[in-house]
Amino acid sequence: MLIDIQDVYKIYGEGTEAEVRALDGVTLSIERGEFVAVVGQSGSGKSTLMNILGCLDVPTRGTYLIDGQDVDELTDAQLSHIRNKQIGFIFQSYNLIQGLNAYENVELPLIYQNVPIFRRKDLVMEAMERVGIADRWKHRPSEMSGGQQQRVAIARAIATKPPIIMADEPTGALDSHTGKEVLYFLQELNKEGSTVILITHDNSIAATARRVVRISDGKIIEDREQEVDWL
Amino acid sequence: MKFGQAMKMAFKSISGSKVRSFLTMLGIIIGVASVMTIVSIMMGMTKQSLAYYEKAGSNRLEVYAYLYNGNSVFNDLYDYCLYMGDYVQGVTPAGNLSATVVYGDKNSSSMDNPPQMYLGSDQYSIVNNFQIAHGRDLSKIDVDNYSNVCVMGARAAQNFFDFTDPVGKEVLVNGLPFTVIGVYMEKDPNNDYSMDNIILFPYTAARNLGQIVDMSQVYVKCRDSNSVKQAKAMIEGFLTGICGDPNDYTNQKGYFYTYSDDQWQESMNEQAAMMSLVLGGIAGISLLVGGIGIMNIMLVTVTERTREIGIRRAIGAQRRSIVTQFLIEAGTICGIGGIFGVLLGTILTLIGGKLLLGGMILWPSLGITLGAVLFSVVLGVIFGLYPAIKASGLQPVVALRAE
Repeated sequence: MLIDIQDVYKIYGEGTEAEVRALDGVTLSIERGEFVAVVGQSGSGKSTLMNILGCLDVPTRGTYLIDGQDVDELTDAQLSHIRNKQIGFIFQSYNLIQGLNAYENVELPLIYQNVPIFRRKDLVMEAMERVGIADRWKHRPSEMSGGQQQRVAIARAIATKPPIIMADEPTGALDSHTGKEVLYFLQELNKEGSTVILITHDNSIAATARRVVRISDGKIIEDREQEVDWL
Repeated sequence: MKFGQAMKMAFKSISGSKVRSFLTMLGIIIGVASVMTIVSIMMGMTKQSLAYYEKAGSNRLEVYAYLYNGNSVFNDLYDYCLYMGDYVQGVTPAGNLSATVVYGDKNSSSMDNPPQMYLGSDQYSIVNNFQIAHGRDLSKIDVDNYSNVCVMGARAAQNFFDFTDPVGKEVLVNGLPFTVIGVYMEKDPNNDYSMDNIILFPYTAARNLGQIVDMSQVYVKCRDSNSVKQAKAMIEGFLTGICGDPNDYTNQKGYFYTYSDDQWQESMNEQAAMMSLVLGGIAGISLLVGGIGIMNIMLVTVTERTREIGIRRAIGAQRRSIVTQFLIEAGTICGIGGIFGVLLGTILTLIGGKLLLGGMILWPSLGITLGAVLFSVVLGVIFGLYPAIKASGLQPVVALRAE
């Protein structure tokens, strides 16, 4: 089991009147190689779930095993290592560093991995060519369109060849055509063996995934397999 | 992450956000340069006024003594001071001669800046810090023999003789020929009312001109400030013997008082202490203003930087890597700012010395420079590190959400 969370809660302001249960007893297992869409309305807790799965946040209660390791017991260095090597993130707002150009943004996770410079260049260019953005390597994020920025973000996510890709509303800020391209990449990556977790509020986007987990008010209300809408 | 990588990343971050880097540097540059310039120029002013009195002659004791019967005490005092050789270097009366000096078509009474004419002993130059440039100084024999000779200060010599050699020439003093025997070295250039615009006569020569000279005022040059105190006490004892107790109003013999440069120096020191307080205040305020500039720009960018730290954390940066990068980044920016600040401060100080202090070549004080740089750099590094330490301790998702 690659990802295994048991009875996980994320509660803000616990015990106060303004208590918010972003996750309210979630149990979920994801196998290696799955393509899972987590679907829910805004405020349903789907992003909170992704943040916890991606080790960007910690649950208030409950256990999370990633590759059999209990996340609760890991040090900062070990968690950083997991985020760096195991997971590639794609965000709705791209989250590129404004002061760095496309190449440098893609290079960043490899630097934190201590990949030597000659090897780094190959990996960066490979990832950028993969998403068709290699000719823009010198451009700053502010000099690129949303679609181009998201491609850079995807290149950054896949440059380290992580086994897990997590995408939080990756098409949210894109037009439908570019959005489709992004989803196509995710399907391709999944075909090559990556585990993909896609967070979305849009059922038509969720249709690209084999498995759909529907979440509402912090609880999983549906978890089913479906026919994939191949792009 | 390796240190070399952290360094490269820091440099990339600096060149990636040039405006932020420049504004931070500007705060440091202005803070350092203004403190250096203000404090150095004010220190230069204090030094300049001290140097003026140093040139005029320091460690001097002014003695004022007379007897009611009209006899001069100078010769006794002169002999007594010779006997105090350990403490005293020279002694001279402080007399003024009013006379007209003529050489060729040059006449002292028609000069724009007529020379001061002094009556002194053979030790006048020692007491007043003059040195012979050429020719010879007054001697004891000139004094004892009522010789008609004089020594000229550099400025006076130039006024009378242009650039020809005055030594051996004769000038007419109230119509009486006097031989110029020497010229003193210039000690106070670039000054219209120069200490070099003087003519010195042996005090005994006044009698040849039919003038009665008041010999009651005497200058005693002492070896150092400690000797001044010793000499003052001894001379007061000696004069009490001759003139009687000056504080005793029944004393019928005479009167005296002594005044040392020490007393003047004490009040000068007090002034200097005041000055350094004021300077400290100004320096403090300048640094504070520069510091607030640094703080502002650093704090304004905290949100942006917090997001950046969130991104870096999300893609796998350890807390330590981020703190290292930010430390190098802040250190580099502040270091460069400090260097430019010192350069600018040095240039401004030199210009200020040139314009405000009569062409003085003024270098900034090392202590102030180091202090200002240290303060600015430490402040810059603290506020540069602040977002790194704060944001890298957050859950990455919290940092990512920063607004």
